[in-house]
Amino acid sequence: MGTVEKINELRIRRQALEQGGGAERIEKQHESGKLTARERLEKLLDENSFVEVDAFVETRAIDFDMQKKKIPGDGVVTGYGTIEGRPVFVASQDFTVIGGSLGEAHARKITKVMDMAMKVGAPFISINDSGGARIEEGIDALSGYGEIFFRNTLASGVIPQISVIMGPCAGGAVYSPAITDFVFMVDKTSYMFITGPQVIKSVTGEDVTFETLGGSEVHNSKSGVAHFRYANEEECIKEIRRLLSFLPDNNLTDPEILPVSDDPNRLDDSLSEIVPDSSNKPYDMKEIVTKVLDNGDFMEVHKHFARNIIVGFGRLNGKTVGIVANQPNVLAGALDVDSSDKAARFIRFCDAFNIPLVTFTDTAGYLPGTGQEYSGIIRHGAKLLYAFSEATVPKINVIVRKAYGGAYIAMNSKHLGADVVFAWPSAEIAVMGPEGAANIIFRKEIAAAEDPVACRDQKIEEYRNKFSNPYIAAARGYVDDVIDPATTRPRLINALEMLAGKRENRPAKKHGNIPL
Amino acid sequence: MKKFLIKVNGNQYEVEVEEVKGSSAVAYTTTAAPAQPAAAPAPAPAPAPAQAPAPAAKTAPSGAAGSVKVTAPMPGTILNIVASVGDKVKRGQVLLILEAMKMENEIVAPADGTVVSINVTSGTSVNAGDLLVSIE
Repeated sequence: MGTVEKINELRIRRQALEQGGGAERIEKQHESGKLTARERLEKLLDENSFVEVDAFVETRAIDFDMQKKKIPGDGVVTGYGTIEGRPVFVASQDFTVIGGSLGEAHARKITKVMDMAMKVGAPFISINDSGGARIEEGIDALSGYGEIFFRNTLASGVIPQISVIMGPCAGGAVYSPAITDFVFMVDKTSYMFITGPQVIKSVTGEDVTFETLGGSEVHNSKSGVAHFRYANEEECIKEIRRLLSFLPDNNLTDPEILPVSDDPNRLDDSLSEIVPDSSNKPYDMKEIVTKVLDNGDFMEVHKHFARNIIVGFGRLNGKTVGIVANQPNVLAGALDVDSSDKAARFIRFCDAFNIPLVTFTDTAGYLPGTGQEYSGIIRHGAKLLYAFSEATVPKINVIVRKAYGGAYIAMNSKHLGADVVFAWPSAEIAVMGPEGAANIIFRKEIAAAEDPVACRDQKIEEYRNKFSNPYIAAARGYVDDVIDPATTRPRLINALEMLAGKRENRPAKKHGNIPL
Repeated sequence: MKKFLIKVNGNQYEVEVEEVKGSSAVAYTTTAAPAQPAAAPAPAPAPAPAQAPAPAAKTAPSGAAGSVKVTAPMPGTILNIVASVGDKVKRGQVLLILEAMKMENEIVAPADGTVVSINVTSGTSVNAGDLLVSIE
């Protein structure tokens, strides 16, 4: 064979590999509303930036006549490319090739790009569309999963890891996404579960569909396993690119600073009109968040899960900040098991990746009830305190309204190491709400009064006037300044600039033991 | 007013009995399981019936069930009921106000539909998970 023929052979071989499972299976994939593994990468990465690695890798399994099967790329496409010019590493499972099942070689391709991503410090994105372990390869397939989980864990906090579920992801396979930082799902075509509907039927007798067991809605609103859901793959891919724009490449760099068109000194008088006069009336905290951020651009994480707390990314003067805010519109903005989990994990992500935290506080406290206590609100609520205390990135808190008792402490208070605490004049910072406090402090007086109801109301009012304001906390220095709501944006930007050089050392240790 | 749950041939009925002072007349409000609020207390010429239909309409039997159940998200007290049985509601429309955690929380319709039952009255203390309203 001459050189020309050899080059031709390469071309033919490569073309065959790029066909994946063949025209028929590709058509089937398209019919079910799904793109192919390669089409997804094409859309995800900058044009023509994808460089494939290990295209020629094959399985070495011989049991069950495996050597006779053609498995192009062993069911996964891996490599690297760029997103907005920044490098990322990718693995995209190919459902058209024996169901994207994971065998030894398939897993080794994935772990190879993970190792490369770690070495160069670039984000890793894994697109999941797989029937699960390749049974013919036995424990070699299990070994493959284990090797991936191990690397997911080592990479955690070193490079951002994003999992995209665009098909089935069942059994052991779910634990790779679970360890990564963010999980994206697509409506109607993606599923995640440990055991499928058939097994559940045979064990517990429950009848459940794929969708109600592990569809995108379930994992985005009930279980909190997934962070984002979109109606189709195109939209999902666009939002993955958007998320990455807020994140740094790794834990040793800062997020990219984007040119800003929004004036850092912009005052917003409408901020004063959002919080109702009555402190018992709810309002939408998201309005405050979006008014303060650059161009109102806020990428909410976990939008549908534990909605009583809001977390997500935005920018202040072009620099990424992580927002954590109570949402009075949902469950009175109370802290509960799920919202504590949600916020704690987000805080730790921001801390790992040098993203300053900005919190907006308005919560009356932890949610009471046997349901919460039995679910371990003590254990879960503790995560929030732990995460805020542990974080060494710049921490700024804006107390918008209620900050009572334990929830006041938990929500990025000075006592947990917040660098700057602002309060709006509407802030009520106290050991508890006026009703409860008056009932306890003036119990005897109220009981002895001729008209206990009137006396109680009077004492509540007295307490409210005296203690439900920001000035007691400001007098102690627990609040650095009471600010006009209109100035919130410039004050936050100013504080972030002041804190840019923040260095805080913690005692050397292997790692802490967050109450899980 | 006292409430009784009575089972007849497997059908559950909620019966409200009110003693009317100074007269022997007793006001009844009976509603079958898939209750319609229309049935005003017919056999009651006593002073009660004038007001009776209103609360009766708002306290359909707990057995009544639209397919969409709105439950209390947290423990608290019902402050105000905005919707009425038979109302057509849109997703996101306020059904009632639940006072909890020092906040007047708006409980909204999770889906478009018609209010089939309202299972609480204002002043009722509810626990997380208690059925408040059902919508069909």
